Amino acid sequence: MTDAAFSALASLADPSLLVMLAVGVVAGLVIGLIPGLGGTGAVAILLPVTFGMEPEQALAMLIGALAVVHTSDTVAAVLLGAPGSASASVTMLDGYSMARQGQAKRALSLAFLSSMAGGLIGAVGLTVAIPLARPLVLSFGSPELFMLTILGVSLAAVLSRGNVVKGLTAGFLGLLLGLVGTSPTTAEERFSFGSLFLSDGVSLVAVALGIFGLAEIASRVGQRRVTERPVELTGGWGSGIREWLTHWTQVVRGALIGIWAGVLPGVGATAGTWLAYGQAVATAKDKRKFGKGDPRGIVGPESANNSVEAGDLIPTFLFGIPGGVPSAMLLGMLLTYGIQPGPAIVTEHLDLMYLIIWAFAIASVVGAFLCFMATPSLAKLTKVPFAVLGPGLLVVMLLGAYQEGGQLGDLWVMVVLGVVGFFLKATGMPRAPFLIGFVLAIPMERYYYLTTSLYDGAGWMARPGVLVFAALLVGPLLWALVKKVRGAYGAVDDGHRSELEELPGEDLEGSMAGTRWSFTVALVAVLLFVGALWVSGSFSEEAQLMPRLVSFCGLVAAGTLLWQERRNARPRPPAAAEPEPLPSSGSTVVASRVDTAADPRVEARRRDLVIAGRTFAAMATFLVLVALGGYLAATLVFVPVFLLYAARARPRTAVVYTLVLGLVLLSLPSLLPVDLPMGWLQ
Amino acid sequence: MTIVVAFADTAPGHAAVTAALAAPGEPGEPVVLVPAVRGEPVPDSAELEARWPGLAGRVQVERGDLGDPSDAVVQVAQRRGARLLVLGLRHRSPVGKMVFGSTAQRILLDATCPVLAVKPPPDERD
Repeated sequence: MTDAAFSALASLADPSLLVMLAVGVVAGLVIGLIPGLGGTGAVAILLPVTFGMEPEQALAMLIGALAVVHTSDTVAAVLLGAPGSASASVTMLDGYSMARQGQAKRALSLAFLSSMAGGLIGAVGLTVAIPLARPLVLSFGSPELFMLTILGVSLAAVLSRGNVVKGLTAGFLGLLLGLVGTSPTTAEERFSFGSLFLSDGVSLVAVALGIFGLAEIASRVGQRRVTERPVELTGGWGSGIREWLTHWTQVVRGALIGIWAGVLPGVGATAGTWLAYGQAVATAKDKRKFGKGDPRGIVGPESANNSVEAGDLIPTFLFGIPGGVPSAMLLGMLLTYGIQPGPAIVTEHLDLMYLIIWAFAIASVVGAFLCFMATPSLAKLTKVPFAVLGPGLLVVMLLGAYQEGGQLGDLWVMVVLGVVGFFLKATGMPRAPFLIGFVLAIPMERYYYLTTSLYDGAGWMARPGVLVFAALLVGPLLWALVKKVRGAYGAVDDGHRSELEELPGEDLEGSMAGTRWSFTVALVAVLLFVGALWVSGSFSEEAQLMPRLVSFCGLVAAGTLLWQERRNARPRPPAAAEPEPLPSSGSTVVASRVDTAADPRVEARRRDLVIAGRTFAAMATFLVLVALGGYLAATLVFVPVFLLYAARARPRTAVVYTLVLGLVLLSLPSLLPVDLPMGWLQ
Repeated sequence: MTIVVAFADTAPGHAAVTAALAAPGEPGEPVVLVPAVRGEPVPDSAELEARWPGLAGRVQVERGDLGDPSDAVVQVAQRRGARLLVLGLRHRSPVGKMVFGSTAQRILLDATCPVLAVKPPPDERD
C-alpha cells in the first residue's frame, strides 16, 4: 500500500507530469477567477486538451485544475461582491463585508489558507478511503454494482436541490440519452433512427459541454457588467495568517463536511459550502458578526468547497459512481482510456489512484501559494464582462467536443443540448442527475445483464450487499417524503436547518419555474418518454428491457411533474396567457410583443430568453461557418462579429482578441494532439 | 433596552407579539420583530401598528444576515443586546417533534438572553 503511494510520488518527479500539473494549476486558477465556470468548467475546458495524452499526464492536468478552482474563485467574491462560482457566494457574505472594512487581505489570506487545508484534508480523506473501501469494493459482484449504479442516479436526483420529481425526471432523461446507440448486449441499434452517427452513441464531452458549458454561456452573456469598483487590496496578509491558525477546528470541520457532501452524488460544492456555513453558525455562541465579516464564516466554507472535489472522487474511482458533475466527466475520460473505475482500479491501477492523490495535495499547496503571489494582478480578470469571454470559451469548448469523435455532428448535438440545458436550468431542473444518468446508463445495463445471467431468478436480490443498497435507496426517498410533508404544514416550526437560501440576484437558475415554460419542459419530457416507450417496442427482447424500464419510470416521473405544474400554474392576466410558440431549436426566439405593463420579472425573463436565443443562433451560425470554411476561418469571422455586435466591445479589443485566438488555434495542432475541423471549401 | 420577537403570521406568532407588549418594561421600549418563517415576506410595520396599537412608534422589523430563521433571531437579539426574546410555541407531540425539528427549540438553546415562550389562547390554536 505505502509502496504504491511512494512510487506514485516518485513518478511525479517525471518532468512531463510536473509540467502538466503546473499547466493544470494555472488553468484552474484562471478558470476559477472567471465567474460562472467553476469545477465543471475547468474539467470541461481542459478535457479536450488531454485527448491523445497518456492517462497519467491527463489526470495530473485535470486534477491540478480541479484542486485549485475553488481557491481562486474567492477573489471575485471578496473583492467585487460577485461570486466567481455558486459555491463562492457563501464566502461573499462575510468576505465581502470584511473587504469593505479595509481588510481584504485578511479575508483573502483566511480563504486561501483554508482552501489549501481543505484540499490537503480532502487528499487525506481520499487516501484513507482506499484501504477502507478496498475489501468492500473487491467483495462486490455484479448485483451490488448494478444496485450502486441505480443508487448513484437516484441519490443524485433526490439530493439535488429542490423538487425531487424534477430531479428524477432529469435523471431518467439522462439515462434515456445514454441508451442511444448500440446495445451492449445484443449489438442492436437503439434510438439511432438509422443514422450511423447516432449508432455510436452520443459523445460524453458533447453532452457535458452542451448541458453545462453552452447553457452557462447563453445564460451569462446577457448578464449586466460588474459596475462596482473592486475593493482596494488593503490590510496585511500576516494578520490573516495568524488568525487562521486559531480557527483550525473550523477548518477541519468544514473539510470533513465537504468530503461527506462530495461523496454523496448530486450534492456538490454549492450545497457543501452552505452546509459548512450553517454548521459554523450553529456551533458559534456569539452570532453577532456573521454576515458582517466573521472569520468563521470564511474559513469553514472555503475549506469545504475544496474538499468537496476530493470527496467527489471517492465514489467515482472506487465504485464508478460519479459524486458530482466534474467527476462524471473524469469518469468518462477514464473510460476512453480503457480504465474501468470500480473494483478494477484498486487492483490494477493503484498507482494511478495515488498519483491522483499526490497531484491533488501538491496542487492545493501550490495553488494557494500562487494566489498569494498573484492576486493583485489577477484580480483585474474578474472585471472582464462575461460577454467578452463568451466567444473565446465557445470556440474552445466546441473544439473540445470535436476531439473525441472528430465529427461535426457532435458539435450540433452539443448546441442542441445547450438549448436543453438552458431550459433545464431556467425551469429549475437539476442538471447533475441528467449527466450522472447519462454516464451510468450503459454500466447499469451491463451489470444488469451480468446479474440476470449469473443468478437464477431473483436470487441476487437476497445478497446482503444488495439489501443494504436497497435500504439506502429507500432511505432518501422517505426523507424526501418527510421533507415534503414538513413543507406542507411545518410552516412555522420548520426546524430543518439548511442555509440554502434564494439569493436575490440576476441568476437564471429556476427563474422560469412555475411558468408555462416549465410546463412545456414537463410536457416535452412526457412526450419523449412516450415516444421512447413506443419506439422500444420494436427492439428484441433483450435490448428492449432497459429502454422500456427507463422510459416507463421516466413517464411516471414526468407525468407527476406535469400534474404538479398544472396544479401550480398561477392564474395570469389574460395578456400574458396567450400561447407563444415554443422555439423549435432555440434559434428563433423573438419577443413578438413588448408588454410595457409587464412586471419586472416577466420582463427579465423575456430578456434572458431573447439573449439566450440570440446566443444559440450565433452558435448555430458558427457551426454553419465551420462546415463551410473550416474552424480557423469560421473563428476569424465569428469572433469579431460577436464581440462587436453582441458584447459591444471596442474594435481594438475585438481585433486583438481575434488575432490572439486565431494564433492560438493555428499553433495548437503542433503543440497538442488536437485536430481542427475542416470545411467544404478547404 | 430592546425586546426581540420571533415573528410569524400565525396564532403562536400573534401571541408572541401580544406577550411582548404585555411584558413589563420602560414605556416606548423598542420592539424588534424578526421574521421566523423562511421565505415569508417581511411584515410591513404600518400594518403591524394597525393591528397592535401598542406597537405604534416602537416597532422595527429586522432580518438577520443568516438564512436559518432560528440563527437569524438569535443573531438579531445578540446584536441589539436584547433584554428579552419572545417567541410563540406550537403544539407538538413528541413524535411530531422528532420528525419536524423545531425553530423554537433552537432559539431556546442558542439564545444568550432570557427567553419568554408563549402559547396562543386555546380557541386560536391550530
